[in-house]
Amino acid sequence: MGFAIIKFVVESFGEINGWNYGQLAFLYGLSVISHALSMIFFVQGWFMGYYVIEGDFDRYLTRPLGVLYQFFFTNINIFGVTDLIPGILVFIYGCVKCEVTVNLLFILQVVVILVGATLIRGGIYILLGSTSFHTRSAVDFGQYTQEIMDKTTMYPLSMYPESMQFILTYLIPVGWISFYPVSALLGIDSAYNAMLVPLITLGVGILVMLVAGAYFSMGLRKYGSAGN
Amino acid sequence: MIDVQDLSKDYMQKHKDPGLSGALKGLVKPEYKVVHAVRDLSFHIGEGEIVGFIGPNGAGKSTTIKMMSGILTPTKGRVLIDGRDITKHRKEVVRNIGVVFGQRTQLNWDLRLGESFELLKHIYQIRQADYDRTLDELDRILGIKEIIDKPVRQMSLGQRVKGDLVASMLHSPKVLFLDEPTIGLDVSAKFALRKFIKEINRVRKTTVILTTHDLGDIQELCERIIIINHGVMMEDGNLSQIVDRIAPYKTLVVEYYDEAAPEHPRCEMILHEGNVAKYRFLKNDLTAAEIIADLSKVKTIKDVSIEEAGIDDIIKVAYGA
Ligand SMILES: Nc1ncnc2c1ncn2[C@@H]1O[C@H](COP(=O)(O)OP(=O)(O)OP(=O)(O)O)[C@@H](O)[C@H]1O
Ligand SMILES: [Mg+2]
Repeated sequence: MGFAIIKFVVESFGEINGWNYGQLAFLYGLSVISHALSMIFFVQGWFMGYYVIEGDFDRYLTRPLGVLYQFFFTNINIFGVTDLIPGILVFIYGCVKCEVTVNLLFILQVVVILVGATLIRGGIYILLGSTSFHTRSAVDFGQYTQEIMDKTTMYPLSMYPESMQFILTYLIPVGWISFYPVSALLGIDSAYNAMLVPLITLGVGILVMLVAGAYFSMGLRKYGSAGN
Repeated sequence: MIDVQDLSKDYMQKHKDPGLSGALKGLVKPEYKVVHAVRDLSFHIGEGEIVGFIGPNGAGKSTTIKMMSGILTPTKGRVLIDGRDITKHRKEVVRNIGVVFGQRTQLNWDLRLGESFELLKHIYQIRQADYDRTLDELDRILGIKEIIDKPVRQMSLGQRVKGDLVASMLHSPKVLFLDEPTIGLDVSAKFALRKFIKEINRVRKTTVILTTHDLGDIQELCERIIIINHGVMMEDGNLSQIVDRIAPYKTLVVEYYDEAAPEHPRCEMILHEGNVAKYRFLKNDLTAAEIIADLSKVKTIKDVSIEEAGIDDIIKVAYGA
């Protein structure tokens, strides 16, 4: 659906903010792939509030493994693959249109970006989910978050006002999910180094995860189980 | 083995005023009410003990068990298992414990029982040989293999509790926490469960801490009991000594040929119904024979029997009922 809109806009106006059709497909595809990966590995984060209210963390806490680790890896969602395939198709289409040379380095860069991007998304789910420990209520944030993330990662960030761009770069660093790495990889903005930016994305991903993990642990200390 | 020091837990319960304005106020500025569920509990439990935790509903038993098993972080105080603080070293310390809640399964609803066991085998990295041996041993006591291919969702309560018990013992923990394990079980399932607890305690020297409202469990299993009420420790000690101290009496039940029943100066008549009267007396003060002799001087007795004080008596006293 989202991509049909892009297609329509680009066909009518030629480009969005200096991004041509192939570049937009590349951006869109990469964003959908990391979205799908986050759905496979981290979608459970959306439901954290229910675990908090129902006392479902009890069983993880009595076992000798990290709680987050068990929470995500005993709930891997294979159906996330359904989003993966269209993402890959659009991404390949974008690669062809942009005539990128697919070599080992390129593949490595894409993998590093995807790992970082998936961690950023997952970390944001954990941060939002962990608020339930404090509010003691389950807010279904998944839908809203998804909409915001779609709007900010599937289209060039440069189309938003500068203040928004600042927020989406430094405070809620979703810009690193797709916009900056793709700008660098495709050489759209020469200010971004294609070697460095994928690594920054990975670094931001790890940082967001660490912060999220710490916030989760703080929450877990307030975890009240359920009074049977 | 287990050291509980000044253990306290406060819960923040969201307080809601009734009506729309209350709901709005709750959204803007939620008000919390502090519930002191557990207050300053301290005790020590040695290896191989079976300790019964008793107290009325809401006393704080489950809260204490949850703090002892690493689920809840204490508001104050700490729990040491083999000298290590379970809150600080949760991952290592929980290797040595097993936990079963009678009211909620720790198993995965969507898996077959055997699959849940396999999962635990991986989580605890149990060697195949040890796993097989433990499973055989537990099967001998509980008869688990006939239900091992059943999805947990389809199990009866009794089967599920059996499954939970085996799951909690697969990694051969040194300490087993059981929160109301016999709740809702029929007589034979209760019997099997008590046998299981005695067996693992005897053979494996597993330390067992259990809560229950079934005095039969206590009578059968526990030499030592801890009574708590309103989160505060009321009693901690040997069951029979506590009974002797709190309820140092026996009750003589006398049946007459008619409804008139005489009083006895040194007894309390605690019941008089039809031809039957119950006389309660202090064990050290008086014997049943003396009372019978005194009473039969006044009136002809048809039949007598003696009731010993039991846990239900101390519970009435300790619970303030
Ligand atoms: N998750 C929770 N959040 C808020 N309050 C709780 C919670 N769990 C228990 N409480 C409160 O703490 C107190 C102690 O509860 P707890 O469940 O420990 O009692 P218990 O002795 O296990 O009772 P029971 O015999 O009914 O199982 C109660 O007043 C209860 O309302
Ligand atoms: Mg309870």
